[in-house]
Amino acid sequence: MPFRNTTRSWGSLSKAFHWLIVLLIINQWWIAERADELKGLAKLEALGTHKSFGMTILMLAVLRLLWRLMNPTPELTSETKPWERALARISHVSLYVLIFAMPLTGWMMSSAKNYPVSWFKMFQFPDLVAPAEQTFHQMLDLHHLLFKVLVGVALLHVAGALKHHFIDRNDVLKRMLPFGGVK
Amino acid sequence: MTNYRIALITSAALFAGSCSAAETPAPTAAPKPVAAKPAAAPAATTTQATSASPHYVQAPSGNNLTFTFVQEGAANKGSFRQFATELRYDEKSLPSSSLNVKVQIASVDTQDKDRNELITGSDFFDVAKFPIAQYVASSFAKRADGGLEAVGKLTIRNVTHELRLPLTLKPTAGGLELSGKTAFKRLDYGVGQGEWKSTESVSDEVKIEYTVSLVRSRT
Repeated sequence: MPFRNTTRSWGSLSKAFHWLIVLLIINQWWIAERADELKGLAKLEALGTHKSFGMTILMLAVLRLLWRLMNPTPELTSETKPWERALARISHVSLYVLIFAMPLTGWMMSSAKNYPVSWFKMFQFPDLVAPAEQTFHQMLDLHHLLFKVLVGVALLHVAGALKHHFIDRNDVLKRMLPFGGVK
Repeated sequence: MTNYRIALITSAALFAGSCSAAETPAPTAAPKPVAAKPAAAPAATTTQATSASPHYVQAPSGNNLTFTFVQEGAANKGSFRQFATELRYDEKSLPSSSLNVKVQIASVDTQDKDRNELITGSDFFDVAKFPIAQYVASSFAKRADGGLEAVGKLTIRNVTHELRLPLTLKPTAGGLELSGKTAFKRLDYGVGQGEWKSTESVSDEVKIEYTVSLVRSRT
């Protein structure tokens, strides 16, 4: 499997970015759900981990976007209808926006609540906004709302991939699978 | 119960006519100042003796007392909004210089209501039982590097430990500006009970920075 993308298939690095971020997002959701039920020190620790993984996603998102811009993007098949192309475009752009917006709103929540963000206790990130209770609540609401949007768009994205595979019977899904490829 | 009633009646009788009528401690409290008076006299002369050292009190503004601790790998800051500083300082007589700082624990501000509540609660400062933290130094000394330090004791939650407070004094229009920084271990003072004794997520070391505007007092 080539390292770089071609116009027909995703390279190994693009696949790694895609699947790593998928796993990290699922992990983030799981930690956040758990943190909601915790109190005291355990909650502090769970949120510290959630924030560290969130910053990991943000840093991966930056690298992923750069890599996408530096590489050819595999094309959709010629049979893909215009409305399908449009829907794919909207969902891909939204997903890219969301992998930035989710960590950024989380980061702003932390700054607003005066709980600065570290990366697995190894180094500290600067604060994005001044501490303010109102900003915290706005960012918290936005973080939750964006998560719902993320779930919705991700489901659409999965539905599209499954349609390509099972109905259109093309390689669009296969070429993004970790060990799949196209001849 | 009967004793308490008698006490109430006695105090009521003692304070008849006074509408402030402090309830329970009245009978014991009333004679106290009288008894204390002779004892206070020598104390006053002691003050007189040290009053050779100019006396400074905290100005209404220009005062900061901030603390920094590490939480989940990030430096977290907070401050105390209310504290009072008293300094007697004569650079020619460091051993008779003194510093007294009283910090109102309830004035803690970490810019987060939940955390303020946690910190003032029984697991940390326990403000209900220990409303004040105090630093008392009855002499000053020169540090090895030539700087100044107060030689005193810090009391938090009724636990007292020696603490040398490095400080810089700069003359200002109305008096002096006192500033400096130091650090102490919160667990030495019991700040962190139960699960908070763990230093995994919240550091034991707390750094303090202070800047206090002092004005010369005539007393």
